[in-house]
Amino acid sequence: MTANSKLIGLVPILGLVLLWGWLAASGMAPRALLPSPVDVVQRLFELLADPDFLAQIGTTLFRLVSGFLIALVLGTVLAVLSASSEVTQTAVNAFVRILAPLPKIALYPAMILILGFGHSSKIALVVIEAAFPIYLATYQGMRNVDKKLVWAARSAGASRLHCLLFVMLPAAAPSILTGARVALVISCIVVFLSEMMSSTEGLGYVLIDAARNFRTIDMFVPIILISALGLGLGAGLSALRRKLLVGYPQD
Amino acid sequence: MIAIEHLSKRFKTAAGKDHLALSDINLELKSGEFVSIIGPSGCGKSTLLYMIGGFIPASEGRILIDGKPVAGPGPDRGPVFQEFALFAWKTVLQNIAYGLRLQGKSKAEAEARARVLLKMVGLERFANFYPKELSGGMKQRVAIARTLAYDPQTLLMDEPFGALDAHTRTHLQRDLLQIWEEHRKTVLFVTHSVEEAVYLSDRVIVMAAGPGRIDRIIPIELDRPRQRSELMFDRRYQEYITQIEGMIDAFETEAA
Ligand SMILES: Nc1ncnc2c1ncn2[C@@H]1O[C@H](COP(=O)(O)OP(=O)(O)O)[C@@H](O)[C@H]1O
Ligand SMILES: [Mg+2]
Repeated sequence: MTANSKLIGLVPILGLVLLWGWLAASGMAPRALLPSPVDVVQRLFELLADPDFLAQIGTTLFRLVSGFLIALVLGTVLAVLSASSEVTQTAVNAFVRILAPLPKIALYPAMILILGFGHSSKIALVVIEAAFPIYLATYQGMRNVDKKLVWAARSAGASRLHCLLFVMLPAAAPSILTGARVALVISCIVVFLSEMMSSTEGLGYVLIDAARNFRTIDMFVPIILISALGLGLGAGLSALRRKLLVGYPQD
Repeated sequence: MIAIEHLSKRFKTAAGKDHLALSDINLELKSGEFVSIIGPSGCGKSTLLYMIGGFIPASEGRILIDGKPVAGPGPDRGPVFQEFALFAWKTVLQNIAYGLRLQGKSKAEAEARARVLLKMVGLERFANFYPKELSGGMKQRVAIARTLAYDPQTLLMDEPFGALDAHTRTHLQRDLLQIWEEHRKTVLFVTHSVEEAVYLSDRVIVMAAGPGRIDRIIPIELDRPRQRSELMFDRRYQEYITQIEGMIDAFETEAA
């Protein structure tokens, strides 16, 4: 992306903030319910100086990143397993077909009962939501690997297992990273949702707590922050993608 | 020596019918022989090469290599594909060193040997490039070097120069012939160019389609080492080309 096109990317964000500012200033919504963006940004900087609040961000970030990373490993391992033989493919696909259409959030109460109100239940929810796009992308990517690549490797003396891990998996890297990008967005949504539904810490909790006490300005701060987290992590993933896919066509 | 006995290949079509792609192929390749296969599209040239490579199983018959039946791919047979099939995530040097690393050679040892091969194909300046940064001709040179690296007895080349422009093609033909003169590997070389087949080969196998079969085998009795510039004035060279082109034309008239 050129510097120019990055600037163009800022235009819609700016537009959104202006629209918000105009709505708030117009008095269409009572000030107590829709604070102005200036007030919210001011509050954001106040809170960012508060160590307790930083700990809330830390909690959400920790749940988000660990859930995402576990999903990345789980999705990839399942896809490799699926690509490794006909039997495992049937087994894994059956498993995926049963779980995929299920709203994972329906499992959340059970997870809380089993894993408690702390980090584990949130991370678990992120994992099962985010693992699917990674699994599907990796599986498709591995299936679409050019057979001749595998044949070239097998002729050079590679075992089937070696081919799976060191030819098919790297050949599918662009797909895996595309899946990871989708999974990251899902992780942001799910971690926030899980904290809103039942938690005593994290940005989602901050939002619910503010809403219950009619502190509307404080409601908007976590919303901005979860977007910022998603944006930052997404940018990190893009940088990683450029580094990892240096030899691949396009990208 | 490679002996192919009563080899057939049937594919199941999507409609569930049997499709006979190759029928009763019998062929012997002597060690160090350069043999080309020419024939219309779909007559089973690639399929034959893939079966010798051990990439796909035969339906009937067998392939013996020095008396032992082919049971899968192995480093005694090295493929070279029209599409290069290089590892995008590896540099040129790493691509070539790949087979040597699999043989358990140390990184330093494998890369030293890879550099020798890189020099042989004239790309020593491109060791740290990625395949996507090379032209088609350069990619194919890398692919050939990657295969030569593990020193297969037999090269299975499926239209290796088919995607290259005429000029690059001529260069690669000359270089391949030079490498072959030096190492005398058995080469099975699929091509669409009669000229290429005659220039390179000891024998040219002409295949026919429907079902895929060997129509005729033509020994090319031209002296070696061959120089293209000299062959241009050799009447026998011209006659071989005319003869084989006539046969292929006859098929196509038949098919039409
Ligand atoms: N995987 C496959 N499934 C079904 N039919 C195939 C498959 N591969 C090749 N064929 C058929 O086998 C015949 C020979 O194909 P191929 O070996 O690619 O021919 P050539 O290389 O001479 O052009 C063709 O009719 C083709 O349609
Ligand atoms: Mg072919």
